[in-house]
Amino acid sequence: MIDLIEVFDRAETGPLTSETDYYMKRYVPKLAEVIARYGIKWDKQTIVNTDDELTDNVFSAAVDLLAEAGAYCPETNRVMEFTRDEILTACAQAPTSATFGEGRERKAMRGRRPDTTDDRPWVHVGGGIYTTDEQVFVDTVEKMASFSIVDSVSVPSILHIRGKDARVRSPQEVLATIKTVRLAREGILRSGRVGLPIINGISAASQPASMFAATYPDFGLRPSDGFLIDFLSEMVVGYEALQKVAFYNTIGANIGSTSTPLFGGYAGGAEGVAVTATCYMIMGNLIMRGTYHYNAPLHSKLHLSSTKPLIWAIALSNAAVGRNMGYPMVNLPYLGGGSGTKQYHYEMACYMLAVVTSGGNVFSGHPAMAVQPDSLVPDDHRFHAEIGLAAARLTRAEAEPICQKLFPLFGDKLKEPDKGLTFQEVYDPRTKRIVNADYQRVMDEVREELAGMGLEVPVS
Amino acid sequence: MGDDGIFEELKQSVIDQDEEKVLATVDKALAAGVDARKVIDDGLLPGLDVIGEQFECEEIFLPELMQAALAFQSAMAVLEPKIRESGGEGPKKGRIVLGTVKGDLHSIGKNILRLLFETSGYEVWDLGIDVDLFKFIDKAKEVDADIIAMSALLTTTLIGQKDVIDALGEQGLRDKYRVMVGGGATTEEWAQKIGADGWAPSAYEAVTLAARLVGAQAGSAA
Ligand code: B12
Repeated sequence: MIDLIEVFDRAETGPLTSETDYYMKRYVPKLAEVIARYGIKWDKQTIVNTDDELTDNVFSAAVDLLAEAGAYCPETNRVMEFTRDEILTACAQAPTSATFGEGRERKAMRGRRPDTTDDRPWVHVGGGIYTTDEQVFVDTVEKMASFSIVDSVSVPSILHIRGKDARVRSPQEVLATIKTVRLAREGILRSGRVGLPIINGISAASQPASMFAATYPDFGLRPSDGFLIDFLSEMVVGYEALQKVAFYNTIGANIGSTSTPLFGGYAGGAEGVAVTATCYMIMGNLIMRGTYHYNAPLHSKLHLSSTKPLIWAIALSNAAVGRNMGYPMVNLPYLGGGSGTKQYHYEMACYMLAVVTSGGNVFSGHPAMAVQPDSLVPDDHRFHAEIGLAAARLTRAEAEPICQKLFPLFGDKLKEPDKGLTFQEVYDPRTKRIVNADYQRVMDEVREELAGMGLEVPVS
Repeated sequence: MGDDGIFEELKQSVIDQDEEKVLATVDKALAAGVDARKVIDDGLLPGLDVIGEQFECEEIFLPELMQAALAFQSAMAVLEPKIRESGGEGPKKGRIVLGTVKGDLHSIGKNILRLLFETSGYEVWDLGIDVDLFKFIDKAKEVDADIIAMSALLTTTLIGQKDVIDALGEQGLRDKYRVMVGGGATTEEWAQKIGADGWAPSAYEAVTLAARLVGAQAGSAA
């Protein structure tokens, strides 16, 4: 694989182009071209693709896209170009497992192949959702970490300092970021699983300075946690991201390459998202030097990932990478329904069935498009992890009919999703037990309905 | 060919997002003596309306929207000097200064907004992302803007919208511009709380809002 400094150099030596020209003369036409070249087409009905000729074509199209369009660096206004050989070598040498955590909790997340029914996927729960209160923050993390099936957590963010939200890039943000990390480790410690990894490092940081500051070892993060590095809009690799790559790569930390291709944005529709999402995983390894990928395609207007074309595209990108590269990946589901609603559970089940059978690991969903504060309700995440583990015993062909039954239960609600609950509305603040009987009842009912559809979800 | 034919052709060339055809049809219309303003108002803009609707219904996506906007801009480069030569008024509906507030790097929603504003006939100054509050104000003064539009996606950058509104107040400029806010982290209540003139949940609705605000602006000036 070409070395890291060489990758950085490509951002200085590639062809000079404006961002608009990069999109309109390179990415957009090339994407259309590779989609046509490989005959990639969504039939507007399927949720879980089982046609592996199509799967492999998506991978080939993604390789061609990167080889022919390149990535774009806005700081230097240059296209980062890579030859097909360089790309294919990087794919062949991509990590196929990432080791996280310490002590008893030290384990490997593996890249999975579609239709593997005899392994146990990695189980990741949580989300970088904003919390309003330090106690709620610690309780949320403690509770999520205490579920024995959980292998890693994403922790929420808490951004206020002395009752006021820290402004982005202010010195207070640096302090708030450090606080987030310290409180998160404290919550994990209280769960009795101190070595459990946090793999959405670092949720409260909006800039490299805050991220680096909070990485100082005394604050509780370690290289065996995971640090997310994002692409800036489609195919764009900014200097801030490359600064993070330079740092986290040098301390030998797990890097989670992260991408959010947008349905309806430059990537266009289902086919464009499938190819672009796959391309991001290729770039995540080659450019970001990731050990795992956070795959988060979403809808540009609805801000969620549970529409039919999106679930199809996300699952397909998992299968394409699972069959052709083996890079470990989790998918970050943005769901419409609020916490504790039936809609939310149905969306999650449909998404989970599609992605886990297609080679993804288990990652519980972000409710209400993740913009509702305090909306991480840990027992939702336990239930969703259980659904994920149940889905892992099925093949894609077995998952598809269940997905087709689930989709009508929420499809029409995506434009106006059901409102959900907050942590405070579900738990007793002292015992951290569920005190909202409706919350428990809804979950039990959905578990029964899923069994009726052919997905038995055992309680963990 | 009758007038209607040429307008239909202009409109269709925009819907087809075909820059060459747009330019050729504009030339043809001008050669036939059609007034440059009419080329815009009765030919190109109705085409862009259709494009906006298609985008809203997900029949087309961002690349097609951009292609149509680029074709429109090329046509405007030809038409604007003609309008000025004949001493005509600028064809724009209003002037909008747009940006994502300080500290916020989210650009996608704002870019969609810019395209829809442009394709609806507004003149837009896009200040980009991470925009300093004085940049909003200075640019608004410089171009005599009707509207300042600010996007914010993070809970921690929302405050940047309030900062601009407060600064306008402190400088005695608050009544001079209509201020609209939006973006993932915003809500209608927030917009009211900080004293913005309007809020919209999507770019499509932001265009309707802009029309309302510019109308109100004209009304209050009268
Ligand atoms: C893409 C994305 C990114 C990309 C941005 C790429 C880019 N070039 O824009 C990247 C990866 C860089 C990014 C970074 C971060 N992000 Co971000 N990001 C998103 C994501 C996934 C989608 C946002 C988006 O583009 N939506 C699509 C566009 C079209 O929607 P929109 O912007 O809302 O715009 C529409 C309307 O709101 C409206 N509109 C927009 N602006 C305006 C303005 C006016 C005046 C009007 C009237 C209307 C209007 O019109 C638009 C079109 O219809 C959201 C998740 C989500 N659920 O939304 C998170 C999200 C916004 N990000 C979040 C966070 C936390 C971050 C980071 C801090 C993460 C980190 N720790 O590094 C950084 C912050 C960097 C910074 N300083 O800004 C959080 C915000 C939480 C909160 N409430 O504060 C979200 C919600 C994700 C989450 N919780 O999991 N992000």
